[in-house]
Amino acid sequence: MPEKRIVLRNCGVIDPRDMSSYLAHDGFKGLEKALSLTPEQVIEEVKTSGLRGRGGAGFPAGMKWELTRKSPGDEKYLICNADEGEVGTFKDRYILQNDPFSLVEAIAIAGYAIGAKKGFIYLRAEYHYLRPMLANAIDQARAKGFLSHMDIEIRMGAGAYVCGEESALMESIEGKRGEVRYRPPFPPTKGLFGKPTVINNVETLMNIPAIMLNGARWFNQIGTERSKGTKVFSVAGDVPRPGVYEMVLGSKLRELVQDLAGATDIKAIQIGGATGRLIPESMLDTPLAFENLLGAGAITVFNSHRDIIDIVYRTMEFLAEESCGKCVPCRQGTEVMVETLERFMHGEGEERDVKVLQELSSTMMLTSLCGLGQAAPNPVIDSLQYFKDAYESRIKARGEVKV
Amino acid sequence: MAKEIEVTLNDNKVTGAEGMTILDLARAKGIDIPTLCYVEDLLPTGACRLCVVEVEGSRTLVASCHTPIAPGMVIQTHSPRVIEARRQIVELMLASHPDTCLVCDKANICELRKIAADLDIGLPRFRTRKHYFAIEDVSPYLVRDMSKCVLCRRCIRGCNEIAKKNVLGMAYRGFDSKVVVDCDEAINTEACRDCDVCVSLCPVGALSKPRKVEEKRRGKVQVIKG
Repeated sequence: MPEKRIVLRNCGVIDPRDMSSYLAHDGFKGLEKALSLTPEQVIEEVKTSGLRGRGGAGFPAGMKWELTRKSPGDEKYLICNADEGEVGTFKDRYILQNDPFSLVEAIAIAGYAIGAKKGFIYLRAEYHYLRPMLANAIDQARAKGFLSHMDIEIRMGAGAYVCGEESALMESIEGKRGEVRYRPPFPPTKGLFGKPTVINNVETLMNIPAIMLNGARWFNQIGTERSKGTKVFSVAGDVPRPGVYEMVLGSKLRELVQDLAGATDIKAIQIGGATGRLIPESMLDTPLAFENLLGAGAITVFNSHRDIIDIVYRTMEFLAEESCGKCVPCRQGTEVMVETLERFMHGEGEERDVKVLQELSSTMMLTSLCGLGQAAPNPVIDSLQYFKDAYESRIKARGEVKV
Repeated sequence: MAKEIEVTLNDNKVTGAEGMTILDLARAKGIDIPTLCYVEDLLPTGACRLCVVEVEGSRTLVASCHTPIAPGMVIQTHSPRVIEARRQIVELMLASHPDTCLVCDKANICELRKIAADLDIGLPRFRTRKHYFAIEDVSPYLVRDMSKCVLCRRCIRGCNEIAKKNVLGMAYRGFDSKVVVDCDEAINTEACRDCDVCVSLCPVGALSKPRKVEEKRRGKVQVIKG
């Protein structure tokens, strides 16, 4: 399946500083159409489209909106998650840099649909240079009267990976330490400041104006049965043409990595960043869809010169550093994993370490408080499944070399 | 009156009031679920994960101390999967806990030790570095040994919710997380005078009162089975 531009439709086409160029390309027509409908009809439209959250979990966006709309209370919030912290992702940056107006329009539509009078854009600390452009887009939209029903505020993160997780993000906006909350209650019933809240990824929201403009039917025909629309991928690593690519969901990984990015020598591919999956070349024909492999759209390619244990060790080191430290399995488990992998790095790994890694992985997945701890063992599990020889050769080498 | 909800608890049909957590219900029915960070009068935090139970249809195990019961829930509190998870969690806590039980003031009344004994924890499976912090004994009101801290946050919640003094807070991330006073200084605040809330809540030997001359150790000598 070819590249198709829905999310990136305006990138490189409009001037991100000037609203008139956006208006000339059907800008704010989606909002106009949404305002002519009732909020319930807008939500119905999004539900029919089959749009699922693009942050990695793939929760149906329309359902999230509906739950929040139906939650009792006058005060509701909308948060746009622009804390793009996943290792190897840069798609949201590209979107914000090239098309901030579509995001503002999408937030206006979403705010109208769920009944939020206040929207927040939680911008990653490292993207501070995008703030003036985003603020400019909001100001221009406000001046034109597009934001008469709600206000949008930009909040900066402080550099924590875990604040991309929705509950930690809300704590951060509330001014507290960026730590996850337990669930239930879920954000649609009790979110930011205890009020019903919708949290959507930048890319999820970017689909909304196009859905409103072209209709849910049109969107529903793109993609696979359970994954509708397109996905923006950030391809990096050992490829000649790294960059941002938007493809129809259900496209093969091979089309993206080999045909578009031009990779020739592939040993492993990390999909979905640090907490994502690590797969071998033999799985290149897997379709990229929510039912198979997806995550937040980070694709990192490793060639045959890369050492698997090194990749897993560095990933784990990152996760241990970024664990918020609240729950035991994640705080202690990531540390145990780092130290175990470190022993393999130094040629001191043993057979029983492999067993420990396997046992610990399942406990972390089952008992951790949030997605970080639950997904942290993924690289270890995958490397043990697909690249077992990397561990075995090190254990064997240890037996041969006597110090 | 609160609505009654019917759930299946360890293969028995039981009813509980709406808003009850799984832990409340289990304890009311005489089922013992080990807990560490949970204290009845404090807000739950879900940090220790010891009270996890199996709920049918859930991808992960859920912590019973903060999960409310829902109609038709099928709960297993002591399935093999749950027991194994609990054991590993205790082992993880013990992995970075100093092996100073022999000389620890709280040894005989230590909750971590009791849980470890109840769950039949043997030799440690996991190896990690240990926390080493200097003992903070500047304050005339309490002594802190953060090496022994298991980060259950009972002291923080007790200080905020019961004593209302907001002396303690969290700092750093991941394995380096620590309960701190001000900008990570040795505890020596006058607010701690005549207040033993955190000391009485601490499950391990991290917080204690300065020992008086000839004071005896509390509790009976614990015999660890297994």
